[in-house]
Amino acid sequence: MVYYLIVCRSLTYAQRGVRLLERAGISAYLVRAPRLIAQAGCAYCVKVSSRWLERALQLLRGEHLNPRGVYQQLEHGEYEEVEV
Amino acid sequence: MIYLDSAATTMEKPPTVARATAWAMTHMASPGRGGHRAGMRAADTLFELRDTAAQLFDVPSPDRVVLTYNATHAINLAIHALVRPGDTVLISGYEHNAVTRPLCARKDITLRVAQAPVFDQAGMLEAFRRELERGVDVVICTHVSNVFGFILPIEELAQLCREKGVPLLVDASQSAGGLPVSLSGWGAAYVAMPGHKGLYGPQGTGLLLCGEELPAPLLYGGTGSESKNQAMPQVLPDRLEAGTQNVAGAAGLLAGLRFVRQKGIARIGAYEHCLCSRMMDALEEIEGVRVFRGNEAQSGVCSITVEGMDCEEVGSWLACHGVGVRAGLHCAPLAHQTAGTLDTGTVRLSFSVFNTTQQVHTVAGLIRQMVRCH
Repeated sequence: MVYYLIVCRSLTYAQRGVRLLERAGISAYLVRAPRLIAQAGCAYCVKVSSRWLERALQLLRGEHLNPRGVYQQLEHGEYEEVEV
Repeated sequence: MIYLDSAATTMEKPPTVARATAWAMTHMASPGRGGHRAGMRAADTLFELRDTAAQLFDVPSPDRVVLTYNATHAINLAIHALVRPGDTVLISGYEHNAVTRPLCARKDITLRVAQAPVFDQAGMLEAFRRELERGVDVVICTHVSNVFGFILPIEELAQLCREKGVPLLVDASQSAGGLPVSLSGWGAAYVAMPGHKGLYGPQGTGLLLCGEELPAPLLYGGTGSESKNQAMPQVLPDRLEAGTQNVAGAAGLLAGLRFVRQKGIARIGAYEHCLCSRMMDALEEIEGVRVFRGNEAQSGVCSITVEGMDCEEVGSWLACHGVGVRAGLHCAPLAHQTAGTLDTGTVRLSFSVFNTTQQVHTVAGLIRQMVRCH
């Protein structure tokens, strides 16, 4: 399964995001952002599977929870930013 | 002890509050500072608190609920964000020192006061209208006087402020949990409230509900976010929450909010008003006792004076007989000045949902005995 990490502006934004997606029936997890993608340092992400990415982003933007960035989780602990 | 000092802090709390606070102290770490279970548990609790408060007080989103250490802290944050050098700030004649002291410390502003007799809602609104016509940059008003329980016409005032485009800060210290409080409905810039009074949380908790503006921070420090950035984050609540939060207090406050939600704000307010009315009915029968009474314009708080007795003497006598009230100026000299009691002070009796009619009868009987013996 391919997972994506949606980096949020704050912990509270990430918490709002997870709850929003869960209410929409999307499995989403709140995780701490790995250092490589945390940008300004110390951040939280919403983790979703590839199946839900597009819908998740749509819902988040609809609530003005615009992400700082979206990254695909690769093997060996690497991440690749994706254009969305 | 019969405790009638809930306007200062509600001492009796729902049992869930102490349980939640104690549990948090041993099971919750610092929120937003790690991804481990104890940290995330704390973060979840804080989010639930913000979310519950947002629902209770009509805040558009939970991130606009800032956790503070008390209402004074919340008011200071809001004043710092709202009031700029050269501003004219309009307040009611019933403000607490939590409002007047931070404003008096600002030498670069003009302070004006809207005055009306106690319990005169129409007069108060007219006074605000008159002052607003003269040009005002910020309005700060208490929802309920902490001394007299006078309910100020906050909805109408909020409408006036919206019409004039003047930002409004509401001090809901005496109303949150007992009267409807609505950030969105009022269109207020900020609403400040303590967690430890009508919301039944532990002392050391408070909330600042924030409107649409992004406020300037008062404190600077770590937020667990954007750590490389030396400026405070541009998002709420992080921008106003530097340093580790009072997590145990927040857990207790969440339990308190759930209690209030379950009981119902209208029901709580009506019950306290009813107890207060019964007390005033009984005290008005006693010769030499002056009761400050406002009927529908009054919450579950009342003030009295006793002829020939100093208010502190009354407070001490009642304390010796197992009754907790508050005598003096109640940190609100402006309110006493407005009502003409600055020189005497008053004795304040304030109620919570845990008081009973039996307690009202007992205390009224004691005051009758005190007056007779004096």
